[in-house]
Amino acid sequence: MKIKNLILTAILTAMALVAFTIEAAIPPLTPIYGIKLGIANVFTLFALYALGTRYAAALLFLRIVLGSIFTGQAVSFIYSLAGGVLSFILMILLKRFFPLKQVWILSVLCAVMHNIGQLLAAIFMTATVQIIYYLPVLVISGIIAGAFTGLCAQLVLMRLKKWSDSRYS
Amino acid sequence: MKTRTWIIILSSAVIVCAVLWMFILNSSSPSKIVGIYQDGSLVEKIDLNSVTDEREITLNGKFGKNIIFISHGHIEMKSAECPDKICVKHGALEIGGTPIVCLPNKVVIQFEETPYGADAKTGAAE
Repeated sequence: MKIKNLILTAILTAMALVAFTIEAAIPPLTPIYGIKLGIANVFTLFALYALGTRYAAALLFLRIVLGSIFTGQAVSFIYSLAGGVLSFILMILLKRFFPLKQVWILSVLCAVMHNIGQLLAAIFMTATVQIIYYLPVLVISGIIAGAFTGLCAQLVLMRLKKWSDSRYS
Repeated sequence: MKTRTWIIILSSAVIVCAVLWMFILNSSSPSKIVGIYQDGSLVEKIDLNSVTDEREITLNGKFGKNIIFISHGHIEMKSAECPDKICVKHGALEIGGTPIVCLPNKVVIQFEETPYGADAKTGAAE
């Protein structure tokens, strides 16, 4: 574990937390819970491609734990964890199929998976299977939000690639 | 896979989901059971979806009459003799909206069960 990478992960985690906290403070756009941009995912994606799986996992877990503490909602921890872990597993499984120019597609798939994970958690928590009716909406919002956050991560990765080509896979 | 293939897959997924969502919205009409309360006690309970004929309910309160108008899927305060008439200005009762309240005459018209009950359980919508 290089010190440099450790520091980079720490900085990225702090940035992801700021993004997460600000986003949590914005009132929801729709009455349906679960539709949001998920800006914090940009940092997870960036860390995965720029630093590697272990650093990205650390970033994600720290962001979820600290994020629920900062926003003060214990319930949201379970949802974040369910969605985060599921989407991250998908992310590391599928990463090899997506070159740098297709990061946004990976992001879309992960965002959809994230929403599915949250939906499953909600079904488990409330013991009402009827919530599954929200699935189409969550898939659509996941595709849109995932494309946006994925593009953000992809653009940053491609800009930085020119500076230090050796570091990125 | 090529980026173009992915775009086609994703956009078709969006379309399929949109169609599904439309289908779900149309098939499951949320229950529209409305309760009319005066002075905290239930006056009448109506399922707005089963209302066929238009009718009016008149309630007598401290500040005069409140006339409630009901038709299929629709309920509103038609007129009130109270001074502020906030309940009349509220318009029709809507899903996800606020209940119709006439404070002077202590009349409340609201849904008996909120259509977004599931969200309330998950502690969402903060």
